[in-house]
Parts: sequence; C-alpha cells; structure tokens
Amino acid sequence: MPRESSALTAYHMTETHPIAASVAEVRKQLEDHRYICSDQIATAVYLAYHLRKPILIEGPPGVGKTELAKTAAEMFDLPLIRLQCYEGLDEAKALYEWKYGKQLLYTQVLKQTLDEVLQGAKGFAESVQRLHEFGDIFFSEEFLEARPLLKALKEENGCVLLIDEVDKSDQEFESLLLEILSDYQVSIPEIGTVKAKRTPPIVFLTSNNTREISDALKRRCLHLYIPFPDVELEQRIVHARIPEIPDRLRTQLVRFIHELRELDLKKAPSISETIDWARTLLLLHADRLEPDIVRNTINVILKFQEDIESVEPEIARLTQKAVDAR
Amino acid sequence: MHRVLTNFIQALRNADVRISTAETLDALRTAELVGYADKALLKSSLSLVLPKTLDEKAIFDTCFDQFFAARENKPIEAFDAEGTQGSQGNANEEGPKQGSGTGAGGRAHGTEESTITEQQPSAAVANTPPDPSSASSPLGQMLLRGNRVEIGVEINNAGRQVGIERIEIFTQKGVYSRRILEAMGLLDLQSEISELEASADPTDRRRGHELGRRRDWLREEVRAYVEQQFLLHADVAGRRVRDDLLRTVRLSALDQRHRRHVEDLVRRMARRLIANHSHRRRTFKRGQLHVPRTLRRNMKYDDAIFDLHWKSEKVARPKVFAICDVSGSVSEYARFMLTFLYSLEEVLPKVRAFAFSSHLGEVTESFEDNPLERAIALALAEHGGGATDYGQAFVTFAALCLDDVDRRSTVILLGDARNNNGDLQLDVLKKIYERCGRLIWLNPEPRSMWNTGDSEMRHVSVYCHQVEECSTLAHLERFVAHLVRTHR
Repeated sequence: MPRESSALTAYHMTETHPIAASVAEVRKQLEDHRYICSDQIATAVYLAYHLRKPILIEGPPGVGKTELAKTAAEMFDLPLIRLQCYEGLDEAKALYEWKYGKQLLYTQVLKQTLDEVLQGAKGFAESVQRLHEFGDIFFSEEFLEARPLLKALKEENGCVLLIDEVDKSDQEFESLLLEILSDYQVSIPEIGTVKAKRTPPIVFLTSNNTREISDALKRRCLHLYIPFPDVELEQRIVHARIPEIPDRLRTQLVRFIHELRELDLKKAPSISETIDWARTLLLLHADRLEPDIVRNTINVILKFQEDIESVEPEIARLTQKAVDAR
Repeated sequence: MHRVLTNFIQALRNADVRISTAETLDALRTAELVGYADKALLKSSLSLVLPKTLDEKAIFDTCFDQFFAARENKPIEAFDAEGTQGSQGNANEEGPKQGSGTGAGGRAHGTEESTITEQQPSAAVANTPPDPSSASSPLGQMLLRGNRVEIGVEINNAGRQVGIERIEIFTQKGVYSRRILEAMGLLDLQSEISELEASADPTDRRRGHELGRRRDWLREEVRAYVEQQFLLHADVAGRRVRDDLLRTVRLSALDQRHRRHVEDLVRRMARRLIANHSHRRRTFKRGQLHVPRTLRRNMKYDDAIFDLHWKSEKVARPKVFAICDVSGSVSEYARFMLTFLYSLEEVLPKVRAFAFSSHLGEVTESFEDNPLERAIALALAEHGGGATDYGQAFVTFAALCLDDVDRRSTVILLGDARNNNGDLQLDVLKKIYERCGRLIWLNPEPRSMWNTGDSEMRHVSVYCHQVEECSTLAHLERFVAHLVRTHR
C-alpha cells in the first residue's frame, strides 16, 4: 500500500483539469459532448479522474459503456487508446511484442559489419567477449513493438485507455492487467519496469457480464453499473443525439421502447437501438407512432426472430399504450 | 468522521458485502475528496468504491439509508435537523418543563408539532428551567440541563462502554438498554428521586417528580438508540447464527418454516461456487510445443522460430446425470440437491435430472421450462410417492440414456439404497459404472445406518467410484465443490 499511495501523491502534483472541478461540471461537460448521463456516471468519471483509479463499467449491451470512455477522451482532450478483448488475447497482442522481422532484417544486413567486428578475434571466447561489448542491441526499445497497454503507459500527457469487453478475455489476461491497473507499470523481462509517464492514463474497463470478473481485478477498480435509463433520461439522450426529431414522435417511441423492455424478451432493446430506431423513423418521415410503421421497422430494435414473433401480435396494443400514455 | 465511515463499512460487512482493507482506504480517500456535506454525492461516490456487484449495490443502498438515518436521529446531528424523531424527542423533553409549571404534566405529549413550537418560548419564559445544580447526581444534573447533544454523547459513550455492537438477538435489547442506563449512572439518580419524593418539602417533591419525568424520557431515548444499534449490528449476527445452524442440521429434520432460508442459503452457496469456478473453464496449457502452428506463424520470419505457440486444450464441462430417489424421506434431500445443481448452471451447463420412486422418469425438460421451485414440485408430484425400486430405476435409466453416458459424465445417485428387498439389477448398475467417468452415490442416512435392514449399500458400493454421506447442507456443499473442482 505505501508504494501505491506515494505514486498517487506524485500524480496528484499535476494540476487539476478545469473540467474535473466538480461532479456537476463533469456532467455538464459530458452533456456538452452529447453524452447525457445520470449523476452516478458523472460521479464515477469525477472520482476516476481524482483518485486515478480505473472504472469497471458493467451493464446490459448498448447502454453506452464504450461511448462513455470515448466521450471522456474527447472531453479531457486526450487520445483514446482502445484494446478490444477476445478469447485468446495474450500479452503479445495487448502489451508488447518484439519486432521479429526487424530483428531478422538487421541481423542479415549487419552480417557484414559483424564480420568486421569479429575480425582479428582469437578464438571463440574472445569473439563472444567482443559481442558482449555491444550489449543487448536487439532487445532494446528500438525493437519493441508497443501494443495498446504499453502505448497507454508511454503517452506523455496521459490518455484514456479503454479495455473493452474484458469479460471475453481469459483469466491469464486478467491477471496481467492487475499490475497495470494498480501501479500503472509493466515489467518487461528484457528491459525492466516501464512506468507511466507524468500523468497515468484514465482507464475504462467494460464488461457485459458473460462471466464474473475476479475479485482481485474488481478490488482495484471503481465499479459502475449502468442500467437502462428512465423514460425522461432516454428522451434527453435521443434529443441530444438526434435533435431534429419531432418532440411527439420522440416521446412516443421512447415510451414504446420502455414498454418493450417490460416484456420477457431474449434481448431487450438498448439505448443504441432506440437511437437507431429514431433515425429510421426520421428517415421514413414518420411524425407519430403507428402500428404499421412499427411493424415494418421492428427489426431495427429487436434482433431475434423469436422476439419479433412474440411481440408482433402485441404491436397494436403497445403502440396505443405508448401514444396514450401521459 | 473516519470512525463513522469504518463503522458503516463494518455494518456493510455484516450485511454480507465483502470489503477489503484496500477498499476501506479507497472509501476514506473518496470521502475526503467529496466531503460529508452532500449526502447524495457521498452515497453515489461510495457506491462506486465499496460494492462490486449488482446485488451488493442493492444491499449498499438500503444499508446506507438505514445507517445514516440512524445517525441523524442522534442528537449531535439531529439538533438542528428537522427529523421526526428529533421533534418527538423535543416534545418529550418539553413536556416535563411545562408540567413542572402548570401541574398538568405530560400535556404536551402527542400534541401537534406546531403547538409545541408555539408554546416553547412561552414555556421557557414563564418557567425558568430548574437549576441544574439542584440535583445531586451527575446524571440528574445533566438531565436538568436538558442538552440533547450532551445526553446523546453520553448515551453513545455508555453504549460503547457496554459493547452494544456485540448485541446479537432481539431479546437482548432490554438487557443492553438497562446496562447503558446503569453505565450512565441511573442508580444514583434513582435513589435521589426516591429520596426527593419521600421528602416533606413540596418543592423537593416537585423536583423529584420532574427528575422522574426526565428519567423516563431518557429511558425512551436509550431504547431508540439500542433499537438502531440492533438493526445495524445484530440482525445480521442473528442470521449468521441461523445460517450456521442450518448448514449443519440434518435436512430431513428441517422445519417447514426454515425451508425458504435454506433455499436462500443454497443459492448463496451456489453463487460462491460459481464465482470461484467460472474462470478456469477456458483453456489449459500443457507446456507442449504446438509444432504445426509454430511453423505456420513463423513463416513470415523466414522460418526462424521466434514466436512459439503452445498446445492448449479446452476443458470440457462435465456432463452430470443426477438420479434422485424422490420417495418419502429422501425427497427432501433430492429437493436441495437439485436446487444446488440447477443453481450452478453457469459452471455446470449440462445437468440431466431423473427422478424415481417406483418408476424412473427424466425431469430435465421440466427444469428448463419452469422456475426451480415449480419444477421440483412437479418432479415430486409426478414421480414421488411409490415404493422405491432401484432395480427398475437402473434399467429405465440405462434404456433412456446409457448411450449418452461417456467418460466425461458423472452420474450422481441420491438415495438411501433401501430397496424393499427387491431385485437390485446390479449388472445394469455395473454397466453404468463401466461407461461413466464417475459414479457417485450420496446417501442421506448416517454411515452407522448403512447396511441395516433392507439397505443395500454394501452391494451397490462395489459399483460406485465414491460413496458419501450427504445429510446436511455442509455435506452437500463440500460434495458439489469437489464435483466442480475435479472436472477442470
């Protein structure tokens, strides 16, 4: 612990970004960047900035987990470095790799030079001795291919690191993350420990909960759960994303989506689907919700035939309910 | 305020939220950053730092509200706050004051808040409060001063002194209230009051009366304090005691009214197993070079081997066949084992369940289509109640799905092996035994009862890889944990 805290105080020396002055300010800035969010989310970003702790974001697909990281990067005006996780992701793809091809090419090219260097060396021992004088040239930073995690640490002015869908990766990868997340450093056997530059990255991890994330990882993170938003918030989101949509249609379609989420579906429509649907309806010049138009566009919000079939007979009723609701 | 926060974390831990020391430190840093003034902000900030699952977040929400509501009632915070408890306390406190002046004591009790606030100043002007120094005992003096803050602090201190946080069951409330009062010096006050009341001087008698009223108010206050502390610390401890008991009690001896608790407990145990085991299902590296892939991947380097690839193997999930005797006394065990197995769906996706008494039938589908409780009830209704016939059950099972049983399958037999002296069909059991990876017999009877009467354990155990006694939840948990572990 003492090590961690001392590192953190060092990082605190850097001046606070004006955006992160207060939770309300963070929220306002996010909204200015067209990310409408609850106080909880703004608080998470605020804490992540000040405590320099990664945020682990969980929630159903399509509620804006990845979007939050992107918007935060935009908001703080930092580069976004993204690492998409998948099964079998290993450190060669996430952390660093040696540029084998370059190493090979250089050895070929330098063969000539090598002969010159070794000229006059008597015997094997002396040749090796001379080679040693050149040090580990081939395993230096020149030949190091930085992958997203290492890149994020080397970023001079800090960055936003997005580790997307961490639940899809293997257990081994999760363990690999631990060192980076708690101390903002990685150990590379051939080179040594690489520490984050002046400002450590702001890390966002997202998870769709396909499996439990280990306690060790959770412990190092702030835990943010983003649920589906309520009607009012979702309307504001749609308004922020598609300002040109008529108010009446917006109200109706958001209510319809909320009705759908109440049903027992294989996959409930998410915010991103609400937005897609709003775009679709706008494109079709609809100015209010009607059963026919819903029926024709339902495949935008429901992604399983099974769901579509179960909702189909209900469409008229649901539409009516969404239109009538006050 | 650090103490408040650590107390709160203790209360959270009591409520089954796992919080590490590191997280406690994080919480302290967070609180320092956001401050204690804005309660909503503090709540949302702490809810990011402390609870790490959705369930825990729900617990956190209720716990936070409960804890900080309880704190608001305490005089220190409530003095300027307008909590209902606070105003009621005021009413109680003001009552005696008026009573001492008008002789109609306690009139203010139950009167509306507005009248109290109106009367307060007049009462204060009309009757100068009794002189604190007129009481001889320290507690009496403090009560006469009537400073809620001071009294609250005293109650808190006394509470800590008698170890209120160790309160466990609700029957202890009275004891703790009395201990706190005694620690505050009730005995001295008591004797002072009786002395005053026995006095011939009417002013003394009135003073005694007054003190008596204030003592009653204090008693109420302490009772409320103990109640809050009990909610925070004890309800949980009581539950823990119950859980520990339920784990080790024989399932057949279980009271009907405890069944819901047990099912809850089973689910919690299953969740823990899932959390522990859902990780390792992916791949399993064996440290052997995968030559074809290594060559393929290194072609781009002119076949110089830079990039090594190792052989790996996906670990298959076990197939579980659970055959449960659902006749009479054993059905209760079947209920809990099936609950357990089906709660583990994430770790054991392929469970097929069979139930039998006189005839065997597969109940897997019913478990897939119905909620757990209903599926179990259906299975018991359909297959329970007959005279147990193990031989017939083995034969039907073999006919139904012997072909599906392979080396990766685990067959679990749950039953007391009491076959009513019928034909056991051991050759069929042998066939199952030879085909499957493991055949495990769980017997809910204690070992000493095996092989007595019509119990055939001696014969069946020859064809089992493992026989276990399984009569309590603890047994069940150990067995299932082993099952999940060995299949990795």
